[in-house]
Amino acid sequence: MGLAELLGTYGQNYLDGLLATWSMTAVSFVFVMALAVLVTVARVSPVAPLRGLGELYVQVFRNIPGVALLILIAYALPQLRVVLDWRTCVIVTVVLLGSAFGSENFMSGINTIGVGQIEAARSVGLTFMQILRHIVIPQALRTTVLPMTNLLIAVMLTTALGSQVPLSPQELTGVVSYVNTRATGGILAFLISALGYVLTAFAISFVGNRIDKRVRILR
Amino acid sequence: MSTRTKTAPSVRAALYEAPGPRARRRIAIGTAVSAVLLALLAALVVRQFYVTGQLAPRYWSFLLEWPTWRFLLQGFVGTVEVALTAGAIALVLGLALMLGRTSGIAPLAALCRVVTDFFRGVPSLLLIYFFFLVVPQYGIQMPSFWMLTLPVALAASGVLAEVFRAGVNAVSKGQVEAALSIGLSPAKTMRRIVLPQAVRYVIPSLIAQLVVVVKDTTVAYVVSYPDLMQNARVLITNYDALLSMYLVVAVIYVLINFAINKASVYVARRTGVKIIR
Amino acid sequence: MSQDSAAEKNVPVIELRHVDKHYGDLHVLRDVSLTVARGEVLVVIGPSGSGKSTLCRTINRLETIDSGEILIEGEPLPQEGRELARMRAELGMVFQQFNLFAHMTILDNVTLGPREVLGQGKEEAEKHAMELLERVGVGEQAHKVPAQLSGGQQQRAAIARSLAMRPKAMMFDEPTSALDPEMINEVLDVMVELARGGMTMVVVTHEMSFARRVADRVVFMADGQIVEEGSPDEFFDHPTTQRARDFLDSIRGH
Repeated sequence: MGLAELLGTYGQNYLDGLLATWSMTAVSFVFVMALAVLVTVARVSPVAPLRGLGELYVQVFRNIPGVALLILIAYALPQLRVVLDWRTCVIVTVVLLGSAFGSENFMSGINTIGVGQIEAARSVGLTFMQILRHIVIPQALRTTVLPMTNLLIAVMLTTALGSQVPLSPQELTGVVSYVNTRATGGILAFLISALGYVLTAFAISFVGNRIDKRVRILR
Repeated sequence: MSTRTKTAPSVRAALYEAPGPRARRRIAIGTAVSAVLLALLAALVVRQFYVTGQLAPRYWSFLLEWPTWRFLLQGFVGTVEVALTAGAIALVLGLALMLGRTSGIAPLAALCRVVTDFFRGVPSLLLIYFFFLVVPQYGIQMPSFWMLTLPVALAASGVLAEVFRAGVNAVSKGQVEAALSIGLSPAKTMRRIVLPQAVRYVIPSLIAQLVVVVKDTTVAYVVSYPDLMQNARVLITNYDALLSMYLVVAVIYVLINFAINKASVYVARRTGVKIIR
Repeated sequence: MSQDSAAEKNVPVIELRHVDKHYGDLHVLRDVSLTVARGEVLVVIGPSGSGKSTLCRTINRLETIDSGEILIEGEPLPQEGRELARMRAELGMVFQQFNLFAHMTILDNVTLGPREVLGQGKEEAEKHAMELLERVGVGEQAHKVPAQLSGGQQQRAAIARSLAMRPKAMMFDEPTSALDPEMINEVLDVMVELARGGMTMVVVTHEMSFARRVADRVVFMADGQIVEEGSPDEFFDHPTTQRARDFLDSIRGH
């Protein structure tokens, strides 16, 4: 099958696949960031059970294979009468995995600030909330631009888990298996999807690097 | 996902100063309230298991039998075989990609860069579908072991190339200048001076990357290769115990990867090296 | 008003009463009592590990104490919350590592406290900040970020940051120890000028020439205890304890 024929027959599938990948990535990443903040707050809190919960969360979702988590959510949870639609299953999986790594990024972002600046802020008379607002959060955000850029790419790649459940429309990886089980798409069928990922990743890291250059903190 | 960072315990100490009496009281209340809420949450989960009948012995009793675990162990061996083989291939390939990229030969460097970025930029699942669905279209018959191992290895090689490159960059310029100044050729400088030090820097990161490899192997069922996950699926059809089996397998994977991560942190501490993502 | 300030005159700005502190098994402060009068420059010296930095940091509760009392103008140091923050705002602190806020310009470093804590407007805060930065000699650097400044410039900016709060007293925790030798004097000069201007100061330092020149009183600490205190001339020329003599000999290179 040549490129023209492939795109003529399945072009719409690829386009839908790309859009599905993009939209799942975008939706997931918003929740990844929100949850990562919550988990990080729990991990640095002075309340021991919350700290424990935060650490457990990160250890579990950093170490569980994506497929295992997706299967649990998509196929095991219904046995507990918790039924989510397929797309939601994939997004929940990606968000749980991604937020664990996002929280790790925030933790190391906080670590780079160092005790000294926080003590200095305290000495000037800033309250805890003022220190968070003016010293900790701005610096944590600015130092995590690159790690979070990489995380966004990782989130996109993780949405490929969508190929393991009957999504409609399928995302990019699912499209490859769809096309190749119906026709001999050959290497081209694979490359179209691969390019969708690679070019998106390239665009993301381009933008991420630009932002990082803008906001990077000299040390 | 492969972001990996080390967290120091000092964050908390820095953020929250030593509490006064009011803060201590508030923390005590918060601790009590959150402990009760967490216990309540756990109770709700257990209750849901109970009301849906998932606590019934038939879902769990097979886990007390030796054949179950023997079969899972066989699967685990399969997982280890794939992970170690893929890891070894990725190590060689990643090193080659890094050497190519830093070779100074422009076309080779560009090629290696494209290849590295490609493998880092596509999901491992897509690579698996390539070997499972596309390669056979060209008349190449592959055992399922390789249909799984090769894509996992390729995906990891892209990441490892970058890890190696970070390791090489971590070797100080002075070392290179010193080696060149005593008359070593650039190639020899790389082989005798830079690489041995770079490898030392990246060993903890390499161990940490094994976690990613292990995770990637879990889609073995796509190519029907009998790894831990695939064997668990077989047991599920045998015993009709989906929830319990998947939970147990998930816990096993988490423990394996947790152990690998701990090992990597341990080695990093011992050698005083930072883990590169 | 005049009555108030007259009454305040007799109350020490800083007073420590029988302060004790442990780090685990280590007894870092042993029954330390100390007063600092208004306008007084107190220099604390002693070998490393003697507890002098810890002493300095307990005064605005960057370190907690196990027992004893710390009074600021006769009021007990608050233990937490807004009261503590307000008290800290009235005490300047200068650190060994400068600790400027890395993501802000020098000007923003100096105006942050006045604007957030004292509620000053942007213009007012910036005008005052620029005056202070000029005074310590880094006015030209106001719009740079800390990493673009030399250590000496950073430390002078840090002093301006503290001064912007119009503090009642200032603590200096080894302010020149992290500096290259050629930058030490530019920081000490600023401190000398402050002392001459009547600022109440507690200075932990190894700079003996500074102590001799500026100190009203020298406190010598060892093993968490105040071993000896007196005027600089008394202390440097006629130390009464063997420990102080040993210490002075060691730094003079005998």
